[in-house]
Amino acid sequence: MNDIKIKSKNLNVYYGDKQALFDVNLDLNEKEVTALIGPSGCGKSTFIRCINRMNDVIDICKVEGNIEIDGIEINDKELDVVSLRERVGMVFQKPNPFPKSIYDNISYGPKIHGKGETKSELDEIVENSLKKAALWEEVKDRLNEPGTGLSGGQQQRLCIARAISVNPEVILMDEPCSALDPIATAKIEELIDELKKTYTIVIVTHSMAQAVRVSQKTGFFHLGKLIEVGKTEKIFKNPDNKMTQDYITGRFG
Amino acid sequence: MSNEHTVKSYEEELQYLIDSVIKMGSLTESQMVDSMDAVIKVDKDSIDKIIKSDDEINKFRSKIDTQIMTLLVKRAPMAIDLRETISSLKISQDLERIGDLSKSNAKKVKPLPLDLPEELLANLKRLGDLVIKQLNDVLDSYVNKNYDKAKEVWEKDEQVDDLTYIAMESVIDFLSKDKKNLDFSTHLIFATKNLERAGDHITNIAETICYLIKGEYLKGSRPKGKVIQQ
Repeated sequence: MNDIKIKSKNLNVYYGDKQALFDVNLDLNEKEVTALIGPSGCGKSTFIRCINRMNDVIDICKVEGNIEIDGIEINDKELDVVSLRERVGMVFQKPNPFPKSIYDNISYGPKIHGKGETKSELDEIVENSLKKAALWEEVKDRLNEPGTGLSGGQQQRLCIARAISVNPEVILMDEPCSALDPIATAKIEELIDELKKTYTIVIVTHSMAQAVRVSQKTGFFHLGKLIEVGKTEKIFKNPDNKMTQDYITGRFG
Repeated sequence: MSNEHTVKSYEEELQYLIDSVIKMGSLTESQMVDSMDAVIKVDKDSIDKIIKSDDEINKFRSKIDTQIMTLLVKRAPMAIDLRETISSLKISQDLERIGDLSKSNAKKVKPLPLDLPEELLANLKRLGDLVIKQLNDVLDSYVNKNYDKAKEVWEKDEQVDDLTYIAMESVIDFLSKDKKNLDFSTHLIFATKNLERAGDHITNIAETICYLIKGEYLKGSRPKGKVIQQ
């Protein structure tokens, strides 16, 4: 088992009066894929948004408890959120490339984070990021065309390339394939498999089959609580908790 | 199974699969009872009927295979449903093999003389009765999802081994008394061995049921009787 990269301790999250997460204690291993599953509104997205403090942008959102990355508390008010988000990249449900060229989509992050001072350095970052995201061969001859002109699957890989471009340690993926067709999904899954050699990945998914395919560890959330977490194979073959079993076998209700 | 599936037809398909395995099991059991009866009574008239009943068991096997393929492709079952589906596949395979062994035993009745020694028949009957009881118990544990009962069957196979040894000895004893017994004694040896092998398939089923219920395999090797150790 790999070392623990991210550790959440007694994490509670509130949106105004409504509590969204209850005492979540969850360890995420380095260079491994952790899948988070659970019905809509169970708190899995809220949880991953705590890892790069995306919840900060929601006024009514209050986060209590601890999240440590490499043993360093990230909820510390003094912590530089921009550099945190450099270390923890995110990919969303719907591909959301900037309305700019493919090249600019990738080079934007490194530029604002002060990486890639010269054109040739930036070129290299763009090429490497697109290669890592398995998109280079498809777009290398049209880097100046708008990113929004790509297919859905390509756009999502572009967003992954964009996340990779600032050389993060963690990549958060919030249902990255829900808007994609099966082939585009397969490409992303293949990519996740490759990326986990370098990055710690957390993926929220509604597809049980996807969770089984891509992850080594799975956590099941329900009504803001982490009900069960364990090796993916164990969770899907023989979970300990009845609620987990009812959810993954489609008996919920 | 606990709560019902949100998708009703999934629930029905799984239940239909389980019912098929139960029906196949009860056919296999009655075929074994008939076959054993034919051997003990040297009843040559019932041979054809027993052989024919094997066709029906085989048909069940194909039907169950199809049901499983459909379930896998349509539902991608998980956790208990996955174990239920895979267990049906394994159990139906073992049941089919048990059916083949009962058929084989029925075929062995043909060359038998009507005046077999009583002690030999009694020993064979004890073995047959135990194997039938084991099959009945294992099917019962499947129907009721009874882990302890399945494990008991698994452990009791040791007794099947021991009774096989005793039955074998009495056949060999009979054979050694008169060389003209050689022909049909060979059939009796095979029949005895078939019962022991049926016992092994029954323990396989017991293991499968334990896995189905708890999601983990029985630990350690099962107790083995005399015939295996030899």
